[in-house]
Amino acid sequence: MNAPERFELFLLPDGTPKLQIEPDRKARNAAIIEFEREDHTLGNLLRAQLLADRRVIFVGYKIEHPLFPKFKMRIQTEEGYKPTEALKNACASIISQLSSLEDNFKKEWDTKMFAHEVMDDN
Amino acid sequence: MQSDNSGPIVKIRDVQPDCVNFVLSECDLALANSVRRSIMAEVPTLAIDIVEIEENSTVLADEFISHRLGLIPLQSDDVDSLLYNRDCSCGDYCELCSVVLTLHAKCTSEGIQTVYARDLLVEPNHSNLKIGQPILNDDANKGSVICKIKKHQELKVKCIAKKGISKEHAKWSPVAAVGFEYDPWNKLKHTDYWYEEDADKEWPKSDYCAYEEPPNPDEKFDYTAKPNNFYFDVETVGTINPNEVILRGIRELRNKVAGVIYSLDEIVARNANEGNAENIGGAGFGTVYGGATQYGGTAYGGTAYGGGTQYGGTAYGTQYGGTAYGNNSAGNDDYNPTTGWD
Ligand SMILES: [Zn+2]
Repeated sequence: MNAPERFELFLLPDGTPKLQIEPDRKARNAAIIEFEREDHTLGNLLRAQLLADRRVIFVGYKIEHPLFPKFKMRIQTEEGYKPTEALKNACASIISQLSSLEDNFKKEWDTKMFAHEVMDDN
Repeated sequence: MQSDNSGPIVKIRDVQPDCVNFVLSECDLALANSVRRSIMAEVPTLAIDIVEIEENSTVLADEFISHRLGLIPLQSDDVDSLLYNRDCSCGDYCELCSVVLTLHAKCTSEGIQTVYARDLLVEPNHSNLKIGQPILNDDANKGSVICKIKKHQELKVKCIAKKGISKEHAKWSPVAAVGFEYDPWNKLKHTDYWYEEDADKEWPKSDYCAYEEPPNPDEKFDYTAKPNNFYFDVETVGTINPNEVILRGIRELRNKVAGVIYSLDEIVARNANEGNAENIGGAGFGTVYGGATQYGGTAYGGTAYGGGTQYGGTAYGTQYGGTAYGNNSAGNDDYNPTTGWD
C-alpha cells in the first residue's frame, strides 16, 4: 500500500540534478561525481572508458547502498585536464562507438536478410 | 579505444523469427555488458498494467488472473507512438497512453474450456498500428493460456495496457533471455571450474569453442589479455522483432550517456551565467589546482589564495563553494570526503 513506486528507481524526479560534482579535497585534480538514478549499466561503462584515457590517473565507482538508485564515481586526472573534461570525452567516445555499433548491426542484419531472401527464392 | 574508426564489429550467426545469435568484437567487455543490460531492462514495451474485473467465477482469484494477464506478451513494435501513462495529461488513462483489451469467456457446455490470449480483444483505437495485439506464436495460434473454466463459470475483464520498461517490472522485458558469453576456453581465467578430478573431462565444452583457438598449455599466462569476442544469443518474447530489440537497446544506452553530457553542459552553462567562469579562469578544477598560469607557478604559495579578490571571496570556501560546480555546501569545511573506493 505504501510501497514506493517502482519507477522511482529510474525516473529522475523534477528538480533533482542528474549529476552532482564535488571536488575531492584529499587529492589534486580529483572530483567525486554522484549520478542520480543510474546503476552499473552506466557506471561500469564510464569507468572502463575513462580507464582507457591515458590522462586519467584514477577512476572508480560504487553504489553505496542497494536501496538508493545512484552511484558515486571518483575521477582523478593529470594537471591541466579536468575530471569533468575526461568524463565528457569518455561519454563522446561511447556515443560514437554505440553509433557505429548501431550502423554495423543494421548493415549486417540487412546482408543476412538479403541472403535469406535469395535462399528462399531458390 | 580501438585505433580505427569502424567501431564494434557485428557478425550475425543465426536468425530465427524471435531469436538472433551474433558475435560482437572490437569493443570492450564493459560496453558489451552494458548493451546486454540495456536490452534486458531499458527497452520500452507494452504490457497489461490494470485489470478491471467485472465477473470472475473461475477457480482462480482476481489477483492471480491479473498477474497472468500482465505477463502476456503484447505487440509492441509501435510502442513509441504511446506516451508513458505518468507523463500523460489524462487523469486516469486514455488512448494516447494506453491500449484497452477486453475479455469475455463463459463456458456453456459440459467439459472444460480453456481461455487463451487470443480471446483478448483489442479496442480499435490503435488498429492501424502494430500495438497491443496479443502474441500468438504457437502452432495453433492460440497464445498463452489464461485460465480454464467449466460449465457456468465466467470471466469478464477489461485490461489497460501501458508502456513501461523492465526495470519497473519484468513483464515489460522484450526478451525471454539474453545469452552472453566470452572466452569459451577460459584462457583469461575469469571463471574457476569446480571439479572432482579433472575439470576438462567433467565440464562440457561451450559451443563457441569452435570459434576460438584452444589454449596452448606450454604458453605462459597472459595477464594483459582482454576478451575480444562476445557471443550474444538474444531470444525475444515476440513483442518486438529481434533486430529492433537490439537497436532499441543500443539507442536507450546512447541516450543515457548523452544525458550525462547534457547534464555536464548544463552545469557549465549555469556556472557561466553566475559569472563564475572568469573567476576561475574558465578552467574549473584543472587550473584552480594546477595553478601553472594563474598562479605563476606558485600554486599554493599564499599570495594567490590569500588575495581573496581574484576569486571574489576568501580562499577555499568560495572557490569550491557552489561556484565551480554549483553546490554551495561542497566547499565548506565540514565536508566529509568519502573514502573506500572499490
Ligand atoms: Zn493518457
